[in-house]
Amino acid sequence: MTQRPVVVALPEKRTGAANWVRAFRAMLRWEITGFRLLLPLMVVVQFLFGAGFVLGIGLFLTEMPPRSALFLTTGAGVITLIVVGLVLGPQLIANQRQQGIYDFIWSLPVPRSTAAAAWVVLSMIIAVPGLIGALALGVWRFDLDLVISWEIVPAVTVTLATATILGYAMAHAIPNPDVTQILSQILIFVVVGFAPINFPPENLPAWLAELHEFLPFTHMARVVRSALTDGLVTDVGISYLVLGVWAGVGSGVAIFVLGRRR
Amino acid sequence: MTLAPSAVRSGASYWWQSYVSMLRFDVTNLRTYLGFLLVVQTLMGGGMAYMYGFYLGELPPVGQAYIATGIPALALIPLGMVWVPSLIGQHKLRDTYDFLWSIPVPRIVSAASVFTTFSIAALPGMVASLWISTVRYDVELSVSWLIVPAVALSSLMATSVGFGLGHVISDPRVTNLVTNVLVFFVLLFSPIVIPIVVFPAWLASLHRVLPFYAMATVIRDALTDGLVDSATSAYVVLGAWTVGAWIAAAWVVGRRR
Repeated sequence: MTQRPVVVALPEKRTGAANWVRAFRAMLRWEITGFRLLLPLMVVVQFLFGAGFVLGIGLFLTEMPPRSALFLTTGAGVITLIVVGLVLGPQLIANQRQQGIYDFIWSLPVPRSTAAAAWVVLSMIIAVPGLIGALALGVWRFDLDLVISWEIVPAVTVTLATATILGYAMAHAIPNPDVTQILSQILIFVVVGFAPINFPPENLPAWLAELHEFLPFTHMARVVRSALTDGLVTDVGISYLVLGVWAGVGSGVAIFVLGRRR
Repeated sequence: MTLAPSAVRSGASYWWQSYVSMLRFDVTNLRTYLGFLLVVQTLMGGGMAYMYGFYLGELPPVGQAYIATGIPALALIPLGMVWVPSLIGQHKLRDTYDFLWSIPVPRIVSAASVFTTFSIAALPGMVASLWISTVRYDVELSVSWLIVPAVALSSLMATSVGFGLGHVISDPRVTNLVTNVLVFFVLLFSPIVIPIVVFPAWLASLHRVLPFYAMATVIRDALTDGLVDSATSAYVVLGAWTVGAWIAAAWVVGRRR
């Protein structure tokens, strides 16, 4: 008697937009559930971080010029966006590596782009309350008039997405989580102290201000500021362009790192 | 077969001998760390000097002198109040904490050795960041002999409080949170690089009993002429915090579990 070989048909390959959306929603639910205990804490920390700058630096000057107050308030909001994307995100991914659950996440049967997209949305959930808190506090503390335009939606989305994708690419490209942790600490130092986000660019030495024209941080501040104020920023087209290039580079690195087989 | 318990060793020479061995133990333990520490501390301290300048914009010479002479205190605080407790926290996480206390030396010797190691380890980074900040702001210092007690007491106080924090708080993750909040408070809400008079009255009075303003005051008093009226009360505050930290640490370290 001969034994018949058992034939198992491979499941049909799932593709297409509907499948992507379904996978994206599943991943988003996965991330939110995974971070459910940490999420409120992270939101509160981000809020305090932004609020700390508004209130703290406000203490240092007996009289805050309105222009500086405007820079500080809008800057504190932008800083929370950058910190979530570029510092907190990589640290969370480094933690996954340290805990040994990193490979498991990539074994989930979803397109990897949905995981990245879910990560961006998660960052937004953490960062946006901090942004709103910092702005509200600044308006109250310095008696500011913000002129909020519809531009705020693309500005915040582009800023946060660019920061998150760059952080994402960095955390996935660097295999050693300790290096990621140190790098994110250095980044926070640079962003808070040496980038014209919380203060006007003329306070920096000319060469450093020049350098920042090529880095994403100033441009993030510029697009958000342009959506919140009148006359403080002109010509944000170039800023969107620079951010687009950085987001493209970040995506390229992420696609390369995540797409290759090991 | 019974082993006779060895005689309890005591006396000044035994104490001294244990102290020297513990110092060697601590320094050897930290040897790879110390170089890294110096680099980070210098970059942080020097970086802060520039950073405050960016935030505050154009400053009169007095304002610049305040920043430059506040930097040494800012270089000492993270080392004593962040690195010391987080190193203790790491011992707890790696389960080497109990081993440290099993070493047959008087516990006070272990503590004294940590205070000595870190108070001295803090100095090169402090000097380097002070140098960077004086160059940045072009400040003429007039250094008096008071710099020796001012820095010694500040550094000892910071290390002692850090040591107390590390031991009193049992969960290292809580220690981590506390030190992060502390740094944030020190950098953004403390009158270290600016005169205390610009602070609202309630916050200023709080800072007269906290150690941060006191550190800045004694060091500034020793580095300049005329910026500080009297540093006596600041020395008292620092002394009180040091002794308080020792008492807290002695309580935790001395009890049996």
